[in-house]
Amino acid sequence: MEEQEKEKPEIKHPDRPIECTECRRPIVVHYTEIAGNKRTCTGMCSECPQLQKHLHGMSAESEISKEIIGSTGLACGDCGTTLEAIRMGTPLGCGTCYDIFSDVIVSDLLLAKSLPKQVVGVNRKGPLHLGRQPGEKQKISPSLKLIALNEALTETLKHEDYEQAAWLRDQIKELTGKPEKSNGKKK
Amino acid sequence: MAKKSKSHPILLQERPWANNENKVWLASSINLYRNFEKFKFPIKLDSDRKHQMISLASNHLLKTKLLSHPELIPVEEMSPTEKEFLVEHFLSPQSFHQAHSGEGFILDDTGEFLASLNIQNHIHFELIDTRGDLESSWNRIVTIETELGKTIPYTFSPKFGFMTSNPRQCGTGFLLTVFLQPSALIHTGKIDEVIERLTTNDIALTGLQGDPNKIIGDIFAVHNRRMLGVTEENIISIIRIFTTKLLVEENGARSALRKEENPEVMDKVSRAYAVLMHSYQMETIEALDAISLLKLGVDLGWIEGITIAELNHLFFNCRRGHLLSRYENELVSEEIPHKRSEFIHDSLKKLKLKI
Repeated sequence: MEEQEKEKPEIKHPDRPIECTECRRPIVVHYTEIAGNKRTCTGMCSECPQLQKHLHGMSAESEISKEIIGSTGLACGDCGTTLEAIRMGTPLGCGTCYDIFSDVIVSDLLLAKSLPKQVVGVNRKGPLHLGRQPGEKQKISPSLKLIALNEALTETLKHEDYEQAAWLRDQIKELTGKPEKSNGKKK
Repeated sequence: MAKKSKSHPILLQERPWANNENKVWLASSINLYRNFEKFKFPIKLDSDRKHQMISLASNHLLKTKLLSHPELIPVEEMSPTEKEFLVEHFLSPQSFHQAHSGEGFILDDTGEFLASLNIQNHIHFELIDTRGDLESSWNRIVTIETELGKTIPYTFSPKFGFMTSNPRQCGTGFLLTVFLQPSALIHTGKIDEVIERLTTNDIALTGLQGDPNKIIGDIFAVHNRRMLGVTEENIISIIRIFTTKLLVEENGARSALRKEENPEVMDKVSRAYAVLMHSYQMETIEALDAISLLKLGVDLGWIEGITIAELNHLFFNCRRGHLLSRYENELVSEEIPHKRSEFIHDSLKKLKLKI
């Protein structure tokens, strides 16, 4: 037992995380499996389907997705990317993949909370993109900074932290050139 | 001994880190991921098509007046040290070590702009901002992106927006990361409560290298979780509000440390001083953690003889890629921790602990 303890390699953090050779995401989970005398260590990203399989068995979402597309090998006609490859975290191969694997992509985005639920319609067919179009000229106004400062100021005043409120007021004054008039009170 | 290769001076930029006086908001990184219409995504491109794509994109970007003396560096011409330097300089969570033939980078001499070509996507525009001016940086990067898109249209669908090789980056294809160093909150044990209170579903926090469980040098990389189903303005606004509120909390924690003695924090700063000044060899993470405490000590008036800008510069210069570049690759890996210590001693020789 003691010998085994001694043999345990010291965990040394490298200067940079090692990447998964499949999906190239950084490895954040070190999964160690001990079966009999054999010990295997695998590095995985936090979203690795293999990790989910180890921890929870086949996930419910995977089952649903399987039902959606069927268990036959669905593949993109333009680039040959398969559904199985996508589920393993392989990057998409072309724009057409988005048409072919649309349902799976939307399910994955919702599961990862990478897409607000309210944006997805009941039939999932409508546009999900709300941002700018290619070539659209879009200048973002510096007033966003002012909005953030005012929101922070309101919260700070609620907590009666007048020192930080004064700091925020100075920042607002710098941007607008005049003192902020929040709550009708003077500093 | 590490292999020497042709060096690219434009890669080894000191700017913008040499004059960065930021105490808490270290920097921001504005990223746009794009693919071009007429090509499959990089994973499905053969070498010839990759080179063709690079040639098309660089033809335009090397001539644009929006960049200052841009240069194309094909990956084939880069040494491993140069790749590592690039990752460190641009605070990238992804490594370029696996970059190979048919991939490349376009940089300009501001040290703030990087276009990565054929690495996961056809093009990844990145701009580093140390002025806290997210809106202007957005306007700058989107002007460059729009100009290139007029010549080579991007793959776009009304449903998924700008299409990327990783579906989680589609839509706006816009990732905004703010690097914050709230060391007072961390070392007074308030950080978890503050983060829990301020974080929303729209925001994700990780460490410097992308791992949410490993905070290095007290740095939190705060970024938008969503790129689809939101507008670019939403993304900037969400990140700005979070950052402003966290800055207020951090200022409050620093103010409390100035008013009332905190022996635990003073001890941590003193120990960091001792480790940096007297160690024989140091690993990167240990050095970065200690430098962050030193920054806090300088801001609180507990340490003198060095500026915040010099410490920020040291933060980059003591990392492996920067260190190897400084010694022109003439180091074996076993020598690096000792050289790092020597370099740090030299940089901190005027340092004086006042507590």
